[in-house]
Amino acid sequence: MSALQLPLGSFGGAIEFIFSEQTSNVTGGAKVGGLEQAVELALKQLEVTALALAVALVLALPLGLYLGHKGKGELVLVGLANAGRALPELALIALVAALIGIGLVPVTLALAVLGIPPIISNAYVGVRQVDPAAVEAARGMGMGELAIIRKVELPLAISTVMGGIRGATIAILATATIAPLAGVETLGDYIINASIYGDDGRLAGAILVALLALSLEGLLALLQRRLTSDGLKVKTV
Amino acid sequence: MNDQPAASSVRYEETTKVYPGSSEPAVDHLSLEVPAGEICVLVGPSGCGKTTAMRMVNRTVEITSGDVLIGDSSVRDREPAQLRREIGYVIQQIGLFPHRTISENIGAVPQLLGWKKEQTRERAAELLELIGLDPALGDRYPAQLSGGQQQRVGVARALAADPLVMLMDEPFGAIDPINRERLQNEFLRLQAEIRKTVLFVTHDIDEAIKMGDRIAVMREGGRVEQYATPAELLMAPANEFVEDFVGADRALKRLALMRVRDINLWEAPLAHVGQATAEVRAKLASPDVEVAYPLLVDDERRPLGWLSERDLAAEIVPGRPDSPLGPVLELDDVMRDALADLLQGEAQYAPVVDHQRRIIGVLSVEIISEFLKSPEAKSDEHPAVERPHE
Amino acid sequence: MSSSLLLAAAGEVGGDFFKERTSDTLPCQAKPNEPFCFDWARENIDRFGTPTVQHLELVVISVLIGFAIAFAIALFAHRRSWLQPPLLAATGVLYTIPSIAFFFLLLPVTGIGKDTAIIALAAYTLQIIYRNTMLGLANVPASTKDAARGMGYTDRQILWRVELPLAIPEIVAGLRVAIVSTIAIATLAVFIGGGGLGTQIYGGGNLTFPTSVFIALAIVLLMAMVFHVALLVAQRFLTPWRKARVA
Repeated sequence: MSALQLPLGSFGGAIEFIFSEQTSNVTGGAKVGGLEQAVELALKQLEVTALALAVALVLALPLGLYLGHKGKGELVLVGLANAGRALPELALIALVAALIGIGLVPVTLALAVLGIPPIISNAYVGVRQVDPAAVEAARGMGMGELAIIRKVELPLAISTVMGGIRGATIAILATATIAPLAGVETLGDYIINASIYGDDGRLAGAILVALLALSLEGLLALLQRRLTSDGLKVKTV
Repeated sequence: MNDQPAASSVRYEETTKVYPGSSEPAVDHLSLEVPAGEICVLVGPSGCGKTTAMRMVNRTVEITSGDVLIGDSSVRDREPAQLRREIGYVIQQIGLFPHRTISENIGAVPQLLGWKKEQTRERAAELLELIGLDPALGDRYPAQLSGGQQQRVGVARALAADPLVMLMDEPFGAIDPINRERLQNEFLRLQAEIRKTVLFVTHDIDEAIKMGDRIAVMREGGRVEQYATPAELLMAPANEFVEDFVGADRALKRLALMRVRDINLWEAPLAHVGQATAEVRAKLASPDVEVAYPLLVDDERRPLGWLSERDLAAEIVPGRPDSPLGPVLELDDVMRDALADLLQGEAQYAPVVDHQRRIIGVLSVEIISEFLKSPEAKSDEHPAVERPHE
Repeated sequence: MSSSLLLAAAGEVGGDFFKERTSDTLPCQAKPNEPFCFDWARENIDRFGTPTVQHLELVVISVLIGFAIAFAIALFAHRRSWLQPPLLAATGVLYTIPSIAFFFLLLPVTGIGKDTAIIALAAYTLQIIYRNTMLGLANVPASTKDAARGMGYTDRQILWRVELPLAIPEIVAGLRVAIVSTIAIATLAVFIGGGGLGTQIYGGGNLTFPTSVFIALAIVLLMAMVFHVALLVAQRFLTPWRKARVA
């Protein structure tokens, strides 16, 4: 049936694009596609994701844990979480590109902004949900406040905290897909600059981005499982 | 309330429950008959199958073999949801619908049965009154009521459609001890009026003795070791298991079956306001006086307080006595509760009054303990005691 | 528009930057580096009308479809616990795939245009709505269900008259998050020819300029806030019993 053949044909073309370098049928002459290019762009996407995540973690995680420990700032964090969800990534990238500049640093900062709300609010919630009796006991044993956060609250909250980190990572990775608009070449380049890569390249880009996101999510889910102590295994995120 | 029979008998016939994957039956061939209008308490250690047995009556646990008959019809012939609408169901955690008002909660089964709205509303108001709650509470939500009030509503809800049978699974278990006693008494008074057939599950033998017309003492597998009236259970336990379960202090437990009127009370010297204290002191000096203090009463012989030495030092008896009355008992009070009141009130004596609050006599802890030591308390012969309800 | 009042107020806050231009300064152009050009904004505000309507349309349709599907599968999975982990995983996959990639995965099948955008956006909302519905249902106290069953409610009556009403807070919360997220993501619909406010951020293969982006952003945030508040109000209205606290 031709209705099925067409999409299947497209996917076939896309798979080919991923694996074999070919002459671009659009720009003519330049070589596009192939595994090497795909891997390079994927790594680039992972690189900017990791950098942005690191920045977001440094800024948001300690603050979130601390606020949760103290029990302060809930209203602000709820507002932040809501605002974070409402922020359109396309606008963020566009503004950063125009007003701050293009390149790795501005893009990393923009992506970090996207990662902060889920990390900080999940850290807060995770710590708030820790059994107060455990904290009391630790205090009674003579543990300092910082030690309590590190040795009692964080391990018990790790599942929720990791949930926030997972959310941040996926949000950052997804936005990194449109980073080419601001001068950082990632897999999204295949999609955004389809004029260079052609329809096959565009579909290939979509497939690769999807696979990358799913793999990363899977890995993080495993990590979350490993880190959650057996006594606290939660069934779902 | 209406002319139809208010209650049906419940009969277990070789009722058995085996859970899949289990080698032992949870309830093994239970055969038991509960006469209509009586409270039958299923009591036993946890896991003995008492709750399972109760739940087989309304099929919230399905019967593996055997049958349960309500009146003459088998519960297995009915569609479960239909069946349950005719059986009152009260559970320990109460389970009121948080999203419905009290009135709506009470009217839930009538609504399921298709009663008219007006009828349902009236019935809810009627029941609120019956259980002693302010009708204004009908528009509140369960979260706004205390635990004791909620459980009262739970009972009202179970009674709303005038069921033939009531199932109660540790209904007062989640209530604090003080309110639990109150609820127990209220339910007994209610039962005296409405006379439902009640299957009451508890693990507390004291509650069983207080509430039950008949008690089934069970062990694992729902096996009934003895099915008897509370008095029989206390006086003639069938075997070591029952004896252990009922507890060694059977004499004290007997107090739960007695009323204040069953014992010989002491007389207190009475004093009236304005009387010359010399007269009162004369009474006190009499050799066969049993109570150490004079009791101040009004013209109708209603107690007002106890008089102290200081009171008697005056010329005439003062209107305000030095010592307050402390606990006041009625002839119909259960003896065990009376003892508890005396001990809690740290009172040596408690006046016993009639329905018009006129003084009859005085009860003291001494009287009770003398009774417990007496041969009468320990004998197997026992005059027929009425249940503590009329 | 009381733009002069606005500008005067903004002038107080922003100093030189927001001052109303007098006639001897050139009117600002919406240049690529110009943060915000009020003149351009004033003159071109109406070109945001259609994209806003398109955007709303995308959001409302996608969320309605997403809700209908997610709610239905949640009800289906409610008493079949073996179905729940796979469903959670499946909706999770749809959530994890970045929307822009999703658009182009669908392209060979559904082509360019708003239909593709709607399918992808609806798929994105499935997990949050499904998960929140399941959570809401799971939070109904077991004793309440036990009492309902023992009183003679059928399973279906328990679901519709007891469990779902009590699950409303979580369900509406899920819906709220879904809507707000979709409002943001719908800006990407421009890439698949689906219209929406994204067209004012990225049009014709290039990013537009900051003024346009800011206005689009403002409209998106405003829309999100309106829906957020509306749903909070709706939830309060639907659950009068939660205001009542112990006397």
